[in-house]
Amino acid sequence: MSESTYRAAVIGLGRMGSTFDDEIRQGGQFFMPYCHAPTYVASPHTELVAGADPHAEQGAIFAERWGLEDKQIYADYREMLEAERPDFVSMCTTARLRASIMIDAINAGVKAIWAEKPFTLSLAEADEVIELAARKGVAIAVNCSRRYNVFFTEARRMVEDGELGEILQITAYTRCTLSANGSHAIDTMRYLAGGDVEWVFGEMESDEKAAGDEDLMGNGYMVFDNNVRGFLRGTPTGAAQWEFDLIGTEGRVRSLAQGMETQYYRWVPGGPRGRNLPARAPFPLPTTIPSMGPAVIEDLVQCIDTGAPPRCSDEDGRKALEIAIAMRESHRQGGRRIDLPLPDRSLRLLSSETANDSVPARIRRLSGQ
Amino acid sequence: MPEKEFRAAVIGLGRMGSTFDDEITRGGQFFMPYCHAPTYTASPHTNLVAGADPHAEQGEIFAGRWGLERGQIYADYREMLQAEQPDFVSLCTTARHRAAIMIDAINAGVKAIWAEKPFTLSLAEADEVLELSTRKGVAIAVNCSRRYNVSFNQARRMVDEGELGEILQITAYTQCNLSHNGSHAIDAMRYLVGADVEWVFGEMESDERAAGEQDLMGNGYLAFDNGARGFIRGSPTGAAPWEFDLIGTEGRVRNLAQGMETQYYRWVPGGLRDEGLPARAPFPLPTHIPSSGLSVIEDLVDCIKTGKQPRCSGLDGRKALEIAIAMRESHRRGGRRVDLPLTDRSLRILSSEIRSDAVPARVRRLQSNRVAA
Repeated sequence: MSESTYRAAVIGLGRMGSTFDDEIRQGGQFFMPYCHAPTYVASPHTELVAGADPHAEQGAIFAERWGLEDKQIYADYREMLEAERPDFVSMCTTARLRASIMIDAINAGVKAIWAEKPFTLSLAEADEVIELAARKGVAIAVNCSRRYNVFFTEARRMVEDGELGEILQITAYTRCTLSANGSHAIDTMRYLAGGDVEWVFGEMESDEKAAGDEDLMGNGYMVFDNNVRGFLRGTPTGAAQWEFDLIGTEGRVRSLAQGMETQYYRWVPGGPRGRNLPARAPFPLPTTIPSMGPAVIEDLVQCIDTGAPPRCSDEDGRKALEIAIAMRESHRQGGRRIDLPLPDRSLRLLSSETANDSVPARIRRLSGQ
Repeated sequence: MPEKEFRAAVIGLGRMGSTFDDEITRGGQFFMPYCHAPTYTASPHTNLVAGADPHAEQGEIFAGRWGLERGQIYADYREMLQAEQPDFVSLCTTARHRAAIMIDAINAGVKAIWAEKPFTLSLAEADEVLELSTRKGVAIAVNCSRRYNVSFNQARRMVDEGELGEILQITAYTQCNLSHNGSHAIDAMRYLVGADVEWVFGEMESDERAAGEQDLMGNGYLAFDNGARGFIRGSPTGAAPWEFDLIGTEGRVRNLAQGMETQYYRWVPGGLRDEGLPARAPFPLPTHIPSSGLSVIEDLVDCIKTGKQPRCSGLDGRKALEIAIAMRESHRRGGRRVDLPLTDRSLRILSSEIRSDAVPARVRRLQSNRVAA
């Protein structure tokens, strides 16, 4: 691993860029540090050298919090890229601008991008960013954070080591609009199933929402190329909040209540006709619990050194978006199976996080919007 | 034997008619007595007065086991119906003959039918039986036994009384052929949700199986008319054997491992952002655990007296079949949503239990044991 310290900059100095970790008081879904600025400050690989945000007050708060000088804060991210020449850049703006900022950052010569989700709004944008990043050899990690969470990485290890047998089913009860937090839900399903989605069926919350481009809730059925089947409930889930259920022939892992509990089941002798019973066993933990933000940095440093793709890559970001759009297409086409990839690359989902994004989310929250 | 109110006869003297209860050593999915002859013998409402089966050895074993005379066993069920004039008749033959026997029984004047599942093979058969039974006022209970199981009854009571809030989702992990044990899975989903299915999407185990009429495994997405959604995985379920998960806004009930455990969850304060946490609470049991079979008889006696529909009626049996067929139609049409009811009533599924049904299942098992040994 490289011994050098990388220069890191954050673009978009709001919640994910700076303050998200303040909201979290219990471990499980996240282990701290998690969001961008606190991670760059804590990581032995990086030094936080700059921030960029068109809203001056956001910059002032950020500089104060993370000990930067006024001149390290830029209103224009292009100026920042030019002046600071960062190695790492974090994309924490509204998703509306993400693709164009990623393109500018790649062209400015960054080594690695740590991007918030959703990756982009349209498939065409995703294609363009991925093509450019591949050509310029820039690693892009998308912050679908469960890939950097110990319970999910252990579950995936169990899949790869065959401890769950052949994987049959992944179910997600994850109330979400399909782009905003659906990116997390769909990416996690792909990560746990360890296969790729060949076709989907979807039902959206209404015909009206399905006809438009605005982000929306919906449910879907997914067919993976390794024969796993997925069921996603993104419509309201009541007393089953953010849950993943991974079922194999030999074992099962359930992540419950927004990741606050993870359960492991395996066969024991017994049952009404001696056909055995699934019994709950302790979930196997590794000997260290990694912080999630620093785990992304470790991953990206390795990508810079070896050229390997990140654990949650730009390709993964595009696939989550494409699956969400395909579920909506299924509804639009009267409830029919939709094969991937989608030929129409102009299709897009206006992630719900882009609503009212001309005002920083902090201000919107203060004014009760 | 003391005279009880109703005379009961069993048609088809094999596993479900007579011996199934011997296989069960633990409670949960079933509470005894469950299958037909032991239930009629135990019920305070019924006397077991006759049996019919074309296989002589089946009749002898049945008579010996349940204390009937030779004269009470018939090779031809029509003769039995004529001679014994039973009030209750149980349909425990292969599903191949179920519709025809139900029609003969209704025409012979029985008051109530307790039918094994699947209800029929085709939708047209189901339509014919239901039309006739309605016209003649005969109650038909289909033995989708979870409707007569205390855990499911309590879950449904919780739904009816609003304890789970608005019902959002029912998921079933139930490896099954869609007619054979799929009848149970689909019926239990409808029962727990307390609503009807408007349309389905389905994927079958293969294009070849979907094209044919043989019973088959498959998965489906069900849209209910009360807004609930269902997902059934009938293809292999690995470490999640026979499980139902009923999710409402205020609570959740999970029935696990073939009914051996039932869990109840409700909100408690707490959680990552104080949005509340679902916590497991004791599942509420009633003060008395009824036997599955005796509950069916109580239900049917009530139907005879009041004219109401059984808790698992012939209509429910037809709906389970129609949903299974619609899931297959969805696959046949290249993967698209199929609305209910189905217009083509000739559609059918040859339930896997009718395979090799010229020989009694008991004899087939003996033969396969001999081969295995």
